[in-house]
Formats: sequence, C-alpha cells, structure tokens
Amino acid sequence: MKQPVQSRQRILDRIRAATPTAAKDASQLADSYAALPRAYIRRGSLSAQARVELMIQRLREYDAEVVECTSAELADAITTQLAASGRHLFVAPSGTPNEWLVTSAWKITGLEWTIDHGLPIDEHEIEKAEGVVTAATCGIADSGTIVLHHSATEGRRVLTLLPDYYLCILRSSQIVETLPEYFSRCQQPPALHPSDKDLSLGTPSLATYISGPSATADIEMTRIKGVHGPRILVVIVVRDN
Amino acid sequence: MRASLFITCYNDTLFPETGQAVVRLLERLGVTLDFHPKQTCCGQMHSNTGFRGEAFSQAKRFVRLYQEKDNIVIPSSSCVAMIRDQYPSLFEELGNEDLRKDFAALVPRVFELSEFLIDRLGVEDVGATFTHRVVYHASCHGVRVLNLGERPYKLMAKVRGLDLAPLPNVDRCCGFGGTFSIKNAEVSSAMLTVKLQDILSTRAEYCTALDNSCLMHLGGAMHREYAGMKTIHLAQILASTEADSQAEATL
Amino acid sequence: MTHAGSARVSLDPQFAPSFPQAALIMLRNPQLRKNVAHAIDVIQAKRGKLVVEKTDWQELRSAASAIRFHVLDNLGAYLEQFESRCIAAGGHVHWASDAAQARQIILDLLRQANASEVIKIKTMTSAEIQLNPFLQAAGVSVYETDLAEIILQLGDEDPSHIVVPALHINRSQVREIFARTMGLKNLSDDPKELTNAARTYLRQKFLTVPTAISGANFLIAETGTVAVVESEGNGRMCLTLPRTLISLVGIEKVLPRFQDLEVMLQLLARSAVGERMNPYTSLWSGVTPGDGPQNFHVVLLDNGRSSILAKTKERQTLKCIRCAACMNTCPVYRQTGGHAYGSVYPGPIGAILTPQLMQLKHAQTLPYASSLCGACYEVCPVKINIPEVLLELRAQVVNQERRQAGRFFDLMYLGLRVANLIFATAWGFHAAQRMGRIGSRFFTRKDGWIHSLPSIGAKWTQTRDLRGLPKQTFHQWWAERVKGEK
Repeated sequence: MKQPVQSRQRILDRIRAATPTAAKDASQLADSYAALPRAYIRRGSLSAQARVELMIQRLREYDAEVVECTSAELADAITTQLAASGRHLFVAPSGTPNEWLVTSAWKITGLEWTIDHGLPIDEHEIEKAEGVVTAATCGIADSGTIVLHHSATEGRRVLTLLPDYYLCILRSSQIVETLPEYFSRCQQPPALHPSDKDLSLGTPSLATYISGPSATADIEMTRIKGVHGPRILVVIVVRDN
Repeated sequence: MRASLFITCYNDTLFPETGQAVVRLLERLGVTLDFHPKQTCCGQMHSNTGFRGEAFSQAKRFVRLYQEKDNIVIPSSSCVAMIRDQYPSLFEELGNEDLRKDFAALVPRVFELSEFLIDRLGVEDVGATFTHRVVYHASCHGVRVLNLGERPYKLMAKVRGLDLAPLPNVDRCCGFGGTFSIKNAEVSSAMLTVKLQDILSTRAEYCTALDNSCLMHLGGAMHREYAGMKTIHLAQILASTEADSQAEATL
Repeated sequence: MTHAGSARVSLDPQFAPSFPQAALIMLRNPQLRKNVAHAIDVIQAKRGKLVVEKTDWQELRSAASAIRFHVLDNLGAYLEQFESRCIAAGGHVHWASDAAQARQIILDLLRQANASEVIKIKTMTSAEIQLNPFLQAAGVSVYETDLAEIILQLGDEDPSHIVVPALHINRSQVREIFARTMGLKNLSDDPKELTNAARTYLRQKFLTVPTAISGANFLIAETGTVAVVESEGNGRMCLTLPRTLISLVGIEKVLPRFQDLEVMLQLLARSAVGERMNPYTSLWSGVTPGDGPQNFHVVLLDNGRSSILAKTKERQTLKCIRCAACMNTCPVYRQTGGHAYGSVYPGPIGAILTPQLMQLKHAQTLPYASSLCGACYEVCPVKINIPEVLLELRAQVVNQERRQAGRFFDLMYLGLRVANLIFATAWGFHAAQRMGRIGSRFFTRKDGWIHSLPSIGAKWTQTRDLRGLPKQTFHQWWAERVKGEK
C-alpha cells in the first residue's frame, strides 16, 4: 500500500501532467476566474414589500406557518405561537434576547426554557426538548430559504435539528430576493449594491440552508414531509424596514 | 437557381420515390437540379459506430465531390447533422489544412430539404395538396442538431387539405439510432413501441418525417403489426399536387 | 433480487453482463418499467415547470459549465488550496489514488477512532469503491440512513438511479422489506407510515453512533468548506451529531469560491428533484469547537479521474454534478432502468463515466447504450456534450477491436469494414446495390416486404418488417431520365 505522502504527490503530478494550460500563478488564476461569464440574474427586481410577500408565499407553499408583526410586537408574537403549539419544553441558543424568554415564561403556564450553553447531547437534553426558537441570518425569497450561520442567536446546528417544532424569527431586512444576493453579502469584501445598508454577513464557516421541512420522495415519488428534523416550522416575519 | 442533390446511400437504395419527389418538387419551384453520379455515402453509420478512419475517408470523398457545387440539398436531417456536427472534428483529427479549408467553404452551401425551401428559396407554400390527416415525427437530429424548429410546420401549414395532428411527447426519440437498432435491437424495439403508442393515438393516416431512417423503423413496425397507418417522407407530401389523387406512399 | 423472478445484474463493471444482455433482463420486468416510468414522469414534470420559470436558466448553465471547466483546467491549484484551508480550519485531508487505497484509509481512520459501527449518508462515491462490503468484512457495521439506501440495504437490492436509488421498488415491496427486517407485523404500505417506521428505526442510531461517513456535493477551495445537499435530514444528523466524520469526495468536486454555489445550487435542485431548493444544505469548514464532529477527515479520491482529466474531449465528463437530469430524460433509461448499465453510475452519465473509470478495460458496451438522440446534452445543467463523448469512446472501443482476432467473427465489424469499401467508389456501391437486390429477392414476400432475415438481419426483423429493395435505385432512375432528355 502506498504511503499517504506518495499518493498525494502522485495524484498532483498526474493532475499537473493532465492540465498543461493551467494558470502559472495565483494572479493568472484570479484573472482567469474573473473572466468567467456570469450573465445570470444577480439582483432581483422586486420592491422590499413584494420581496417579503414572496418569501411568505414560498414558506406557506412548504406548509410552514407564517405570521407577521412589528418589532414592538415580537415578544408577544413569540408567546402566542409557543402557546398555540401545545408544547412546553423549549430550547433556545445562548444569545437569545431576554425579552423573548421572559415574556413567554411569564405568560404560558408550564413553559420551560433550556438555554443551550453547550449541552452534551448524550444526556438527551436537547432530545427532550419539544421545540426550539432561534433567530436567522437571511431569507431568500425566490426559494423560500432560511439561512442560518449558527451564531449565538441561531445556536449550534443540532439545536434546530432534533426538536420537532421550530420557531424561526426572520426580520424583513434580512430578506433578499435571489440566491446571488445572499452570496454577494457573504463575500470578503462583500459585493454589496450601493443601496444596501451595511449588510455584510461575512463568509460563514458553518451554514445551514433550510427550504421547507425535510422530505423524501424515495417511495414511488410520493412526497412525504418530515423525515428527520423538525416537522413543524413556524416563521415570524418581523417588519423592521 | 441551381442545386445539387445528395440523395444519401439509403434513400438511393431503399427509397428512390423520395428522391423522385424532391426532384418533382424543386423543379416545380424553378430549381435546376443536378445529381453527381459518383456519390455514395456521407459516412454517418461508420462515424456513429466508432469507425472514425472509415468515416473520414467517406467524408473526404464527399467534400471532394461537392467542392464546386452550390446549394447541396439533402432529404435527410441525420446526414446533414453528420456533415455539420461531425465532419469538423473528423477533419480536425485526421485531415489537413487544405481539407479543413475546403470543408469550411462548403458547409454553408449544404442544406437539409426544409432548410433549402424556407431559408434559401424563401418559400413556405410549395403548391402542394395532400388531403389526409398526418402526424409529424420530429427526428432528433433535426430538432437538436439542426434546430429546424418551425420550418417543417410552416411548410405543412401551407399544404392544402393537410390535417396535422399534434403528437404527444414529440421530442422523444423513436429508438432507431442507426446501428443502435441492431446492436441494441430489444431496447430499440421497446422505444419503438412507446413511440408508436403516441403516434397511433393521433389516428392519423400518415406518419411523416424528414428522415426515412426513422420512418423505416416506425413503418416497419406499423407494417408488421397491421397498424393501419402508413409512413411517407415529407418531400413526397410537398411534391403532391391536386393532380395526384393519392401520393406514392411508402407503405 | 432485483425483482421477484428476475435475475440479478451485477453493478460491478468488471463482472456485469453486456448492456444488451442486461437490458433484455430488465425489459422483461413490467413492474420495474412501470415504476421507472412513473418516477421519471414525476420528476420531469416538476423540473420542466421550474426551468420555464427560471428565465436565466441558459445563462446559469453557461456559467456553471465555464466554472467547472475552469476548475478542471486548474484542478491542482484548487485542490491544494482546499487542502490548506481545510487543515487550517482543523480538518485532515487524505489522498487516495484508487479504490483500494481509499477503503484502507477509511478503515484505518475508523480503527483509530475505535469505531465498530458507522452511520452513513448516501454517497455514490462510496458505492463506486465498494466500501460497505469491505468495512463489513473488517468487522465494522455500516448503517445507511437515507430512506432509499435503507430500503436497498435491508432488501439486499442494488441502486438503480443516482438521486432516487430505489425508484425501481414500489410501496408494497418496501412494506414487505420493512415488515420483515424491522419486525413490524402490522405495517401498511402507506408511504407516510413506511417513512415513519424508518424515522423511528434511525433515531437511536443517530443519537448513539459516534462515527459517520459522508460524501460531498461540492468542496470550496477558497474556504476549505464542504457542502452536502439533501432532502431528508439524515445528512444533518450524520454531519452534526457524531464525534468523528469522514467525507469521501472525488477530486473533481471542487469549486473555486463560496460564491460559486449561487450558480450550482440553483441548477442542482431543479435538475435533480424538480424543486427551487432542496430542503437542507449543510456547509462546514474543518472543525468548529462546540458544534459538530471534532475529528474531521476528507478523503480525496482519484480512482481514474486524473486519466479522464488528461483527455481533451473526455474531460468534460468530470464537470458532472450528479443531478441525474440526463437519466431522467433518457429514452433508453426509461425503458431499462439503471441496473442494465451494470454500474453504480447508470444512464447517460454512467455510459461515459463508467467505461472511463475502468480505463476501457470493461463496460465497452456502455458507449453503445444510446441512440444518440441528444436529450441528455439538452438538459445537462453543466453542458456536458454526452453524445460527443459517447462517439469518442465508441471510436476507442473499435480501435481496441481492430487489434483483436475476435473481430473476424463479429458480423457488425466485418459488415462495416466491407461497407466502407463499397462506399469508396460509385461502381462498388452500385454493384453492391445490384447484389443486394438479387440477394434480397429470396427473402421478399409477395407483398413486397421482407418479414424475416437470417443472422444479423434477424435483429431487425424480430420486431420490424423491411420493405423489399425497389427494382430501380434513384441513381438508375436519374440516369434514365437524363438519357431520355437527350
């Protein structure tokens, strides 16, 4: 069996021999990359209002429940949704704003918050939770996608995976129309349109893109929703722009 | 206008009536036709089966024969596709600079029949009468390589009495595929069965196309199965006039 | 068993029967053909609507093709960049020249992690290197976690499609498999109930097995990121719960920058499953403290890809993003399903990829498993000219045959060689036509048609008639006309 180092070298040598027109240096490579054709739609053309409406429409097409509220109404909106869920054990990330937690805890009997400060999963703490509440990083209206970069207000990945009910708080200012718009905000430095405020997101080292509940069509192409991951998705869209 | 007819090896041997119809049609439209007596084959069956060297020798011969000819008309979209789509790489790999130059000069002068009528002669109404219900099979090479698009439909729209039936799954391959029909005869037949279901569902009297290769395959099964439909090359429909009470159909 | 009563076709190209032989077995299976046609029609309808809706679809294809070609042209640099970013982010990168080496690297990593069982996300690459049987033989239990892969694993079946691998199996067959292997006597065949059974069965595995194996859809060189695109959520489970994660990835899967996902993701979900975006996409770079596996390894796999890279016309094969749009549109695949291709990569992409991965030592009938209709090229999101590669491979297969003594017994080969001589001159062509006319008279019935031919001709006449050769060829008719005009 070949030694690992030899294998690496052999593969790279074979690749080099196979690619005689490869760029000679990093600068030539960058030039050749920059020259690639990108005539596809980069920026959407919808108004902010229409964008939010499209996002809501797409979410509802996925059977997500969507409600809207203003920033001032947010804490109460969360409480209303959690109360309506019929569940009581909820988990939330460490960066969750206090007013979300306090209002709900005060208004709903039996509600218990577990804040994730790095709970060990094998003690089934997260598995015991019936629901999870987090913020988000971005919403992509075209495909109804929720983007999580797993910051302190979004929580580590397992948090939005194990519980069966997920309440996601998405601000309307976080909603873009097209996928390229999201990626332009992630670039270093961000390729922002002049009309955007400072909406740089940074390139994430962890990300999850959620477009509806999990689904399978493996049995006779019959689409069954909710295989693994939360089967119930509720989104509160906060009108903040 | 002058034009030179490349009949294709299989039309020459198996479907001379298609060639005769092309002659009748084009002469009626005022074209002076010639026919190079030394023509044989474009090389498609060899190229498609992997016999590149052999295909190249036929391709070379074609270019030499037609170098001086203007408006080469070919009643077969797969042969035109061979010339446009595969001759370039054959000549690139096996030919020389002179041959590539001669070919480059020649290829704009090669036309599939419906291209010649619509693009070169600028006619849609060729003065045809064909009082039958017809379904049109869009051969893959015509659709995807030649991008014939609306041309055959424009021509058929002006044929008096022609009742064109829409064909479900019109872009799906009939399963002929040249030597594929022999090398993978069973799969070819399965594809044929499915295609025939769509074609027969139109209750047309005739199935037409711009390629006798597909029609040979479809028509062969129709005949075997007593399906009650006949095949006919579009050239024969377009050549048919009121004087012909029934066109010479390929049974 | 592929299906009750029918023979099983090996998916190892070294042992699989020829495509015509395998196809014949599949063609005789009505259940399979119905299941395949149904599945294809559903995906095609969904895809069709979304492609029309996406007004910049052609521009996306052009960009994707250009990006993939650019990567392949600079593959060394991008792989090295990915490696250094991945390592800087706390991951490990291994390089495997071939399948055997990849299997051994993975086994060694499992042993280092003291793993006696692994949970797995579907990856065709692991099927390509035949990983599961190797690990099982070494005493490691492998648990597939995709619904289709569980069906296949528990039912001892083979995949027939790269995105929906169990599309040839219907609900009552799934019910039978689950009832038998999960001990669920009262299970109905309702897909919802079957899916729930799988969810329950897997939950414990996800929460307790500390080692996972995955593939990847894309690697991002700029950031050392790995991307996995999925629908069911088992991917997210395997990628975040275990302590150790091993990702096996073909070297061709790298993209230059994070931004390039904006093109690929728009094309992939629409092409593969007919949706604007698949339910879950997971992206991670190396190791993140407090979130997910802390022991992460990427195994980069060559296994013949660098040879394909070296060939001008064939290199485009490596642009593939494994969406399966080609097989969903292929009229041949529609009739035969995937097993006929004798490989874990079926359909049009399989017909070009498998023979090349085998260095054309096996699977030589696959390049001929096509009528060259071109539908695959039309739908390929990265614009692989599959017909062009098929023709190139056919030429290579024929060149192989030219050096073999067996060619003198191959009627098709001899026939084409003779035909070439015939077409070389007009007199040869005309003489052959006359001989053909005379020879075919014996087979031509009173109605002017041929109903039965011997030998290789029987391949035509087994299902089709052939009109008898006309008395006069076109060129004879023309010559007479010319004489008449004089």
